[in-house]
Amino acid sequence: MPRPIVNSISEYFHTDWAAMTVSDWVGTILTVVIFVLMVVVYFQVFRPKNRERLEAQKHIPFEVDNESNGDKDGGK
Amino acid sequence: MESGLEQKYNFDVVRWFTVMAAVYLVVGASVGVYIASELAWPFLNFDSPYISFGRLRPLHTNAVIFAFGGCTLMSTAFYTVQRTCGVRLWSDKLAWFVFWGWNAVILCAVITLPLGLTESKEYAELEWPVDILIAVVWLSFTFNFIMTIARRKSSHIYVSNWFFLGMMVMIVYLHVVNSLAIPVGLFKSYSLFSGVQDAMIQWWWGHNAVGFYLTAGFLGIMYYFVPKQAGRPIYSYRLSVIHFWALMFGYVWLGAHHLQYTALPDWTGSLGAAVSIAMIIPSWGGAVNGMMTLSGAWDRLRTDYVLRFLIMALAFYAMSTFEGPVMALKTVNALSHYTDWTIGHVHSGALGWVAGISIGAIYHLMPRLFHTEMFSERLVNFHFWTATIGTVVYIVAMWVSGIMQGLMWRAYDEYGTLAYTFVESVDAMHPYYAMRAVGGAIFLTGAIVMLFNVLMTVRKSAASGSLTNARSLPAPA
Repeated sequence: MPRPIVNSISEYFHTDWAAMTVSDWVGTILTVVIFVLMVVVYFQVFRPKNRERLEAQKHIPFEVDNESNGDKDGGK
Repeated sequence: MESGLEQKYNFDVVRWFTVMAAVYLVVGASVGVYIASELAWPFLNFDSPYISFGRLRPLHTNAVIFAFGGCTLMSTAFYTVQRTCGVRLWSDKLAWFVFWGWNAVILCAVITLPLGLTESKEYAELEWPVDILIAVVWLSFTFNFIMTIARRKSSHIYVSNWFFLGMMVMIVYLHVVNSLAIPVGLFKSYSLFSGVQDAMIQWWWGHNAVGFYLTAGFLGIMYYFVPKQAGRPIYSYRLSVIHFWALMFGYVWLGAHHLQYTALPDWTGSLGAAVSIAMIIPSWGGAVNGMMTLSGAWDRLRTDYVLRFLIMALAFYAMSTFEGPVMALKTVNALSHYTDWTIGHVHSGALGWVAGISIGAIYHLMPRLFHTEMFSERLVNFHFWTATIGTVVYIVAMWVSGIMQGLMWRAYDEYGTLAYTFVESVDAMHPYYAMRAVGGAIFLTGAIVMLFNVLMTVRKSAASGSLTNARSLPAPA
C-alpha cells in the first residue's frame, strides 16, 4: 500500500540540524542571503519610481563622446 | 566616421587585439576542423603523438576560447570602457603588458599542449607556470579596467562594463581556485583536490568558464555593440540590470549538472538542474532585450551585414540557453551525457553565439579603428552565410549523432543484454563525423575570408593614410 504523500513530503524535508557542518551552515546562509538580495534587486528595478532614472542610462553609449567632441553621428 | 578620438583614447592596443582575434579564429578553427577530420578519418593521426586528437583537442579549445575569445574580450572591453566612460585607459603600459602577456600565454599553449604537458583539467589544461602567468595578466587587465572606470566622466557605469567587470572578478576567483596544484617539476603538478572534490571543483570552473567568460563577457559586448550598430539605445535598461544580477547570482550553482549520475551527492545534480532551468528566464530576457533593440528598424537586417551577425548571435544565445537547461535535467541527461549531443550544444553556443557576437563586434570596430570602410562589404555578407550555414550543418550533425549514440547505448534486446556493441555505435557515427568536418570547414572558410578582409582593410588604411591623418587631428576637450 502506498504511503501517504504528506508523510513522504515531511520526510523529504526532514533536516537533522544537529548534523549540520560549518560548510552546510555557510552554504545555507549564503543561499538565503542571495535569494533575498535577488528579491531586493527585482523590487528596486521594477519599482515604477526608479523607471525613469534607470532607463535614462541606456543613452550613455551615444552621449559621452557627443558632449566632449561633437561627434556628429553619435559616436557610431 | 570618428575623428579626433585617436589622441583622446588608446585605440592602438584595441587595434592589435582586434586583428589578433581574427588571426586566432582562423588558427583555432583550423585545428578544430583537423581534429574533426581525425575523428572521421583516423589515418590523419599519422601515428604521431603530437598531432593526435588527445593533444590537439585542448589546443583547439584553448585557441578558440582563450586566444580568439580572449583577444576579442580584451579588445572590446578596452574599447567599450573608454567610449562609455569618456576617458583614456588608466595605463597604456599596463594595457600593452596585457597584450604581450596574453599572447605569451597563447604561445605557451601552442608549445606545451602538443607536447602532452597538461594538468588534464578540461579548459584548464595549462601547467602551473602558465597558470601563474594567466593570473598575473588577467589581474592586470582587471586592474586597468577598474581604474579606468574609477576615472570616468559619466556618473553611471554603463551596463556593458558591469558584465565585463563581473566576468573579470569571477574568472580570477575561478581560475585561481581551480588551478591550485602542487608542482613536482617545472612542467608537472598535481591538483590540490582529489576524487569527487576534484570533479566538483573542475566543473564549478568548467561551467562558470562558460557562464562568466563565454556568456557574461560576450554579453558585455552585446550590450554595447548591438545598440551602437543599430543606432538606437538598448530596448530596456531595467531588463539589462535584472539580466546582470540574475546571471551573477545564478550561474555559479550550475556546475554539478555536468556530473549527473556520478559519485557526487544526488542533490548537487538536482540543484544544478533546478537553477539551470531558472536561468532560462534571465537569459531569454537578455536575448529578447537585444533583439527588441531593433524594434521598428527590422528592415536594417536586409542591408546591414554586421547587424545580421549580432542578431543571429542573439538567436543562437537564446537557443543554447534553452537547450542547456533541458540537457541538465536528469531524464534528458541520461540520454545526452557523454554523447555528441553535448558537442552540438557547445558549438551552437560557441559558433553561433560567441563567434557570432565577436565577429559582429570586430566588423563594427574595424572601420572605426582604421578610419576607413571595410575592404569588401560583399565578403562580410559572404562570411555571414558561411558562418551561419557552417554552424547549422555542424550542430545538426552532432544532434543526430548524439541522440543516435544515446539510443544505441541504452538499447536492450529481449534477453536484457545490450543490443549494440560500442564499436557498432562508433561505426554508425561516421557519416555524421564527416558532416561535422564539412560544417566546420564551411565555418573556417568564412573565418579565413574575414581575416583576409581585415588585413586588406588595414592595408587600405595604411595606403590612404587615414589612420595617420586621424592621429594628427587635435584631441577633443
